[in-house]
Amino acid sequence: MSRSDPQPTIGELLDRNGVSRRAFVKYCTAMASVLALPPLAGRAMAEQLRAARRPSVIYLSFQECTGCLESLTRSFAPTIESLLFNVISLDYDDTLMAAAGQQAEEARAQAMKANYGKYLLVVDGSVPTGEGGVYDCAAGRSALDILTDCARGAAAIVCVGTCSSFGGIPFANPNPTGARAVSDIIRDKPIVNVSGCPPIAEVITGTLLQYVTLGRVPELDAHLRPTVFFGNSIHDRCYRRPFYDRGQFAKSFDDEGARSGWCLYELGCKGPTTYNACATVKWNGGVSFPIESGHPCLGCAEPDFWDGGSFYSPIPTPRWGKAGEVRPAQAAELAVGAAVAGAVIGAGSVLLAGRRTRHLQGPEQDSHEKKEE
Amino acid sequence: MSPGSPLARIPVRVEQRPAAAATGTIGGGVAAILTEIATLLERLAATGESAAIDLRSLPMSPSDRERLTQALGRGEIDIVLHADGDSSIRETGVQGVWWTEYRDCDGEVLAAFIEITRVPEILIVPVGELTRGAVQLREMARTAAAPQGESTRVTI
Repeated sequence: MSRSDPQPTIGELLDRNGVSRRAFVKYCTAMASVLALPPLAGRAMAEQLRAARRPSVIYLSFQECTGCLESLTRSFAPTIESLLFNVISLDYDDTLMAAAGQQAEEARAQAMKANYGKYLLVVDGSVPTGEGGVYDCAAGRSALDILTDCARGAAAIVCVGTCSSFGGIPFANPNPTGARAVSDIIRDKPIVNVSGCPPIAEVITGTLLQYVTLGRVPELDAHLRPTVFFGNSIHDRCYRRPFYDRGQFAKSFDDEGARSGWCLYELGCKGPTTYNACATVKWNGGVSFPIESGHPCLGCAEPDFWDGGSFYSPIPTPRWGKAGEVRPAQAAELAVGAAVAGAVIGAGSVLLAGRRTRHLQGPEQDSHEKKEE
Repeated sequence: MSPGSPLARIPVRVEQRPAAAATGTIGGGVAAILTEIATLLERLAATGESAAIDLRSLPMSPSDRERLTQALGRGEIDIVLHADGDSSIRETGVQGVWWTEYRDCDGEVLAAFIEITRVPEILIVPVGELTRGAVQLREMARTAAAPQGESTRVTI
């Protein structure tokens, strides 16, 4: 098909490829599940998607480790194949595409021209701005230049991973390359942040699918993340939460509490201040997530997670009430969700853990925490 | 790991799951889910409105899930849906309550939910499909009734 032809609807593509009604309803029901919609919404979603057209997607990789793309290609629902063949038209991704060099750059220029104002720009990796952006160049242009150019004709930008969303590890102190989040540079386009290091595969594909289904960016939280996936803290949805409410905590990685699956708060779990879908969507096709495997949450979906102190020290008490970390509405949910007696025990443990942190870290570390606050 | 590998000589001791987890006290949501199903079943009986509970969205431990499966039991109907992978739609021991698992071609579970309905929606054929089927059959009948071509007669 030539570039000037209108894209066929997704329904037309499915019919051409012999995908049955039940197969597509099944697919959409799985998608509805990922998007936290009721299972019965799958049929309505199928009808809506059939009428939609596949958007052109341009995927840019900047200062990153390719972990986000690795995660994306391991999506179980939808699989990356079904997403590419049925839902989006991936016109440029220098890591996945067969073309390279000038051919690849031409493919991007063509896609941008043919879909100007309509294409979806996906960015992974932070953007180095130090020394005029020389720390990341491709085809003789800096990442900063490529981003500004591609953003101009985009309908919306999806930032995949904590690096493009918040700067991530390149942004960590002392940030030698002057790394910045996309939202620090582009101010005039709708931006969706799909944070995580890496983000859960289904959260990436689900966000893209949500965009195609709705035809616009979905509802976002204060950090521009889709509330469907980032609306609850890990702690809120953690299956170990009842142990927190009862005040039962693992004190080390090999004690009886750890073996019995007790709460990992005192081992540094950042679940209470981290918003992501790990506890529900989970990883590797729903097999498990870090806490289920016995490790505390590192808080990788939050801004500045790398500079937030030790991964293995309990969250200092003041952060529980800090705006943006635990929002008032979420705090209220925490209070309502927990049994009153359990909440008292839990709050007591937070205080004790705070004291223990100060005791373990000593006065110097304590002042560092205060400086960060 | 092959049997001859040096790794195979390392003794491995498998520890049993601790009693607290195995007894299903984690989460403790099984009773709540059963109560929700009962409420939805009563609503179905009264108003005809179907419902579904997404098992993926529930923070359940493996032992909780096992307890839920056991509590609901197995019914008389097992359906396999062959559409981009084999999916199962199984009636539980409670009529009107179905345990549905959609799988992909590799057998991975894409979605799992409990449907509270007379017949799971995906099995019901919409009107458009019925009319399309009728057109298809009439076309087949017309082809079958038409005089056969020269080459066919020679073959017979």
